[in-house]
Amino acid sequence: MTIKYKSVKEFKEMISQKEISNKEIIQEVFNLIDDNKGLNAFITLNEENSIKKAEYFDNNPSELSLAGIPIAQKDLFCTKGLRTTCGSNILNNFVPPYTATVIENLENAGCISVGKTNMDEFAMGSSNETSFFGNVHNPWGENLVPGGSSGGAAAAVAAGIVPAASGTDTGGSIRQPASLCGITGIKPTYGRISRWGMIAFASSLDQAGPMARTAEDCAILLNEMCSHDEKDTTSLDETVPNFQENLNKPLKGKKIGIVKDLDLSNLDNDVVEVFENSLKEFQSLGADLVDISLPNLALSVPTYYVVAPAECSSNLSRFDGVKFGRRSEHTKDLEELYVNTRSEGFGDEVKRRILIGSYVLSAGYYDAYYKKAQQVRRLIKNDFENAFSNVDVIMTPTTRGPAFEIGSKGNDPIQMYLEDLFTISANLAGLPALSLPNGFIDNKPIGLQIIGNFLDESSILNFAHMYQSETNWHMHTPEGIK
Amino acid sequence: MDKKTVTTISYLSRLKIDDEKEEKIIEDLDNIIKFVDQLNIIDTSDVAPLTNPLEKTAKTRKDIVTAKNLKKDLLEVAPSSNDDYFLVPRVVE
Repeated sequence: MTIKYKSVKEFKEMISQKEISNKEIIQEVFNLIDDNKGLNAFITLNEENSIKKAEYFDNNPSELSLAGIPIAQKDLFCTKGLRTTCGSNILNNFVPPYTATVIENLENAGCISVGKTNMDEFAMGSSNETSFFGNVHNPWGENLVPGGSSGGAAAAVAAGIVPAASGTDTGGSIRQPASLCGITGIKPTYGRISRWGMIAFASSLDQAGPMARTAEDCAILLNEMCSHDEKDTTSLDETVPNFQENLNKPLKGKKIGIVKDLDLSNLDNDVVEVFENSLKEFQSLGADLVDISLPNLALSVPTYYVVAPAECSSNLSRFDGVKFGRRSEHTKDLEELYVNTRSEGFGDEVKRRILIGSYVLSAGYYDAYYKKAQQVRRLIKNDFENAFSNVDVIMTPTTRGPAFEIGSKGNDPIQMYLEDLFTISANLAGLPALSLPNGFIDNKPIGLQIIGNFLDESSILNFAHMYQSETNWHMHTPEGIK
Repeated sequence: MDKKTVTTISYLSRLKIDDEKEEKIIEDLDNIIKFVDQLNIIDTSDVAPLTNPLEKTAKTRKDIVTAKNLKKDLLEVAPSSNDDYFLVPRVVE
């Protein structure tokens, strides 16, 4: 009995039918992690505790929805007693004294957190190349990036090591790696999942979400991850629907918004073809295509690269070598302690974003950049509100192309920033959005993005599940995985 | 973006910029600022800034003390501490 490439749903069946013991599952997960060390998907493993929890479930069979399911947690979530680095040298030795609410929710539902996944440092990157712990390799090609920032999570799921993983998404960090690794991932509405215990990057944009092989698995996980949390003042106090209930709802008469302002002409023909084929599939499922306008969409990347660095420069001021994390050994006075700790502890991309943030927030530039970006952010949000008065979901390609080679975006940060062209607007507007595999280009997977209206995760999961019931793009597996 | 500006913002950020990387950082920051300058093509004079997509007032809770004393746990993860305090280099001579 192998667990490789099995979905959460299949795991649940295998466990309830006693086809495999919980302990055997966990042992096989750690064998798979070991066999595929070359992917560099994990930073820290949680083997001893995982086996203990599996043994507990073998002795005490449980009805919990995720009982015994192995899940990889992004190394951005604080986990009590388990090292949490956020992909950074400055947190190289940090063992949190508490656990993030969302991880607690998953663990209370029975999941086994097998380890912490590699990621771009502080989630700042789209290729996993900014991690202090080295880049992750895409299971679909050793020289390819897995995307970022949740690159380790996407690679671990795509390689069939675990059926699901937690991720976070500030500008596309769940959806872009999901697209590049051929898996499914959803960023819910801002506020659905508590941010307490998530190491903050840009607080008005950060949101956690599940990454898995299918939309159905994402629905199962999302139900456990969402909760109102008094410890996060932006946590929504709204009823969480049963996301599995509407998965099979017919799409007849539903309206898909197609963004007419989106210039696809500079994309590869193959990307456009894959996208258009998916739209045809949805039409054959009974949905209608409707042209919509998001006139300020082109400004989403520049807006993001003011708002996100501004919030990051403020959030990351807490890393000063005093209360936790790594401290520089070269410190003759307090000022030097701060400066040397931060200069030695942060990588180049993180420093670049802190500097930009300090610049756009500094006296004399605040109105010209920060306030301006927040004003444009409102226009982008208004555009979506208008569009959703007439459609159920909006569809775009998730990425401009499939996975690119490690090192190929070289020294130009803006080229890397444009990687998130299609994903960033959902974060700016706070809307839920999902990516699912919808084709291949040169044997590399690529994804379709479905954006939903505020709090309407159910519709995008419904569209995604119906698509996956008719197609098998999500069933493909990479060669060369041990 | 020039050397003087980068010196100011690196001071504000408590970051030291290595001499050999300085030129590249100035160039990158300059390109990023030019890139975000596209925002100026649009008139936003009557638009209120959006700071948070929810635009909801934070929910209040009952005024009951829930905080626990975590002194021991927190001092344990500090780079340097004694029984009561975080320790840093001497600030008063």
